[in-house]
Amino acid sequence: MKPFAKPIDRRTFLKQLKGMACFAGASLLIPPGLMAGQKRPDLAVVTGDIEPAVKKAVDMIGGIGRFVKPGSRVVIKPNMSFASGPERASNTHPDVIKTLVLMCRQAGAGRVLVLDNPLAPAEQCIENSGIGPVCNAIEKNMAQTVTDPSRFKETAISDGKSLRQTDVMKEVLSADVLIAAPQAKSHSGAGVSLSMKGMMGLISNRRIMHRLDLHEAIVDLASLLRPHLVVIDASRVLSTGGPGGPGKVLTPKTIIASADMVAADAYTVSAFEWYGSRYSADQIKHIRLAHQRGLGRMDIDQLKIGKAAV
Amino acid sequence: MRFRRLARAASLGIFLMLLAAAGHLAASDLYLRMDPALIGAAALAMRTLVWIWLPAVIVIATALLFGRIFCGYICPMGITIDATDKCFAPRRKKNKTAHAPSLRLKYYILAFMAGSALFGVTFVYWAAPLSLVTRFYSLVFYPVLYMVSDKAVSAFYPIASHLDLRTLMFLEINPPRFATGFFVLLFFAAVFAAVKISPRFWCRYLCPSGAILALASKKPLFRRQVNSECNQCGLCANKCPMAAINPDAPETTRHEECIACMQCRQICPQNAVAFSAGLATDLQKAESISPVRRQVLLYGLAGAGTAAVALTGLKVVAGDESQKGTVRHTRLIRPPGALPEPDFLAACVRCGQCMAACPTNTLQPVWFDAGLLGLFSPAVTPRRKYCDPKCTACGQVCPTGAIAQIPKSERTWAKIGTAVIYRQQCLAWEYKKSCMVCDEVCPYDALEFEKRPDLPYPVPHVLEDRCAGCGHCEHACPVYNQAAIVVTPMNALRLSPGQSFEYTAKSRGFTLQLAPGEAKQPPAVSGYPGGGLPDTAPHGNKGMAPGFDEGG
Repeated sequence: MKPFAKPIDRRTFLKQLKGMACFAGASLLIPPGLMAGQKRPDLAVVTGDIEPAVKKAVDMIGGIGRFVKPGSRVVIKPNMSFASGPERASNTHPDVIKTLVLMCRQAGAGRVLVLDNPLAPAEQCIENSGIGPVCNAIEKNMAQTVTDPSRFKETAISDGKSLRQTDVMKEVLSADVLIAAPQAKSHSGAGVSLSMKGMMGLISNRRIMHRLDLHEAIVDLASLLRPHLVVIDASRVLSTGGPGGPGKVLTPKTIIASADMVAADAYTVSAFEWYGSRYSADQIKHIRLAHQRGLGRMDIDQLKIGKAAV
Repeated sequence: MRFRRLARAASLGIFLMLLAAAGHLAASDLYLRMDPALIGAAALAMRTLVWIWLPAVIVIATALLFGRIFCGYICPMGITIDATDKCFAPRRKKNKTAHAPSLRLKYYILAFMAGSALFGVTFVYWAAPLSLVTRFYSLVFYPVLYMVSDKAVSAFYPIASHLDLRTLMFLEINPPRFATGFFVLLFFAAVFAAVKISPRFWCRYLCPSGAILALASKKPLFRRQVNSECNQCGLCANKCPMAAINPDAPETTRHEECIACMQCRQICPQNAVAFSAGLATDLQKAESISPVRRQVLLYGLAGAGTAAVALTGLKVVAGDESQKGTVRHTRLIRPPGALPEPDFLAACVRCGQCMAACPTNTLQPVWFDAGLLGLFSPAVTPRRKYCDPKCTACGQVCPTGAIAQIPKSERTWAKIGTAVIYRQQCLAWEYKKSCMVCDEVCPYDALEFEKRPDLPYPVPHVLEDRCAGCGHCEHACPVYNQAAIVVTPMNALRLSPGQSFEYTAKSRGFTLQLAPGEAKQPPAVSGYPGGGLPDTAPHGNKGMAPGFDEGG
């Protein structure tokens, strides 16, 4: 398991130290004026067409190179759990995934996989969502659905309160970088389905989470699977009827990026209308709990938010 | 000989390929439609003839000309038995011909089947070779094969992942699982073990299709002919797997028993045996062992009598399942397009082709859930997996039309049942947990949720006029072992051939569309869609979006 999961061991620590040293060294090459006075935002909110908006949002929070190093093994987790197209807003827009994949490759990623454990029949999901076709046009077999329990590995959740262990996709466990690219949508059980809820697509036994307290279990899982980068697709928002729809689809044409999954989710909750009303982030229990447990910050008014339009 | 081996291997290979491709290939039920007894009994029981059964007629016609070449070269049951005979055959010095009178048994079995079919009851699945062998390969052979391959692929995963062989890494085989597999296995173990009594025991003594072809091949044009070189050594009679050669007069042949395997020609030291066309007048015919007419009648009556008794069983459906007095297993869900139950049971030959074709493995053979008459008939088992609302595989492969072919455009309207919520099991209703998995997976959007003052989380309701009974909800329900939402056969559409599902469904007020674009009207801030249950929440969360709370 790589950094986003566990307390780091010595070897990883040294590796990271090495990485940081490189980074520090590299920063000497950058003209000092560029860094000074330009503290990067914790959260980037960009409106506009998907492709430039994704690029801009990631650039604003430090660029893809902050997360993906040359040779990194990257897993991107979209929402592609439903056999429907982008217009229904239950799956991430394929252009978001395409842009992220290309950015990762430009950053020199060793391997990029787009993975989800879907609810609906796997082939239909990967096809109809449009994610399969765009990814596989870039590289054959890049986007995959994983459902066979043998492709998951039992993993302890040391910080778990009710969910103490789960089965995680082996490819995720062996990845260096995890990028969450959820579709912004309502969820009849969890309130919203964003980056934290989306981590349920990387495990095998989701049923148990419903028998536990769903919100608490989501936070437990988020303590294990903490994406390095979160890019929320709010180009369309499924405001009602989520997660599968059909429901009311808003089109705010917005992309939200952050390294903090709680902050990204919290901002998304507060920024859009859900079932015709406005809510604050703390009205979603799993966001509230995650904040309390220090997994991220929901106090978005205290965060530095960069906004842009492209 | 080599030709024969090749021909048989090719036939079995094609059969297995068609079976593996069931649901993907148009003619994957071709072999079933070639089986004379299977088609004959279905036609009798259904009292109908359709052109798709032409292959069976052609097979009977070939018997008139060439004898039982179907048995010798094409029938996968015969080929399978030949193969296992080779493995298990005892060394016998002399071919027992004492059983010769039992050669009649197959005619009586046929008479029994026909007698019951006259009553609209089918027992053909106990004996028709293609029904049996299809079931064997689809319910026993393939599942084992897939399971073993799945284990192999999983074992290879670490290497595949290391080498980044994506296709292998993400190859998921999902081996099917079936009920009744062990019974089928035991049945076939008995069939295979019968080689201890005689080779091709099944084909010789029991096969009703063999009986039909025997009746047609008393005087075939192409047949075994023995010339004057024959020195009556009797080697051929000893070798003949079908007891078609009389050891006392090996130059004569019981043509109706002969499957033209030509082993007699190969073994003959005198080269006296040939298979060629001959005039009817030159027939070197051994005294045939024909069915006794009185016995045929008797067995026919026995079949009719058994059918009559079976029809008085408690679980028999006389007309419609909705009729008063119908006693059924509470959750017996037939596949989409299944004819009305009595017609369905008359037509279904229990071959298992639909189950082999079912991509989600939800179609399972039933034991006695549908009474004695329903043995091995297919039923949807949503807990195993849902019935894909776009899939028409089972209807496409059904050789008799017991499951009708539904046009793709009508498929979503073919309602197979209605989901019901057991509130005392439901996480949201009873255990006050946040769970809307049923809503999450429902492709018809047939679930709605209601926020109640007495419960912390929204609770589900089924909109029965939108529910097609696909079983996504029952499959995904996190409660075990009894799911809290289950599909019952209520309001299943069981239509006669030619009727429109869409028209019928609409006339009953159902809206059964996957309808991605069409959204339920989002509720105004107060209240939740439909349900007719007033939102009486006294406190502030009246109208709050589902899953949200007061915050804090």
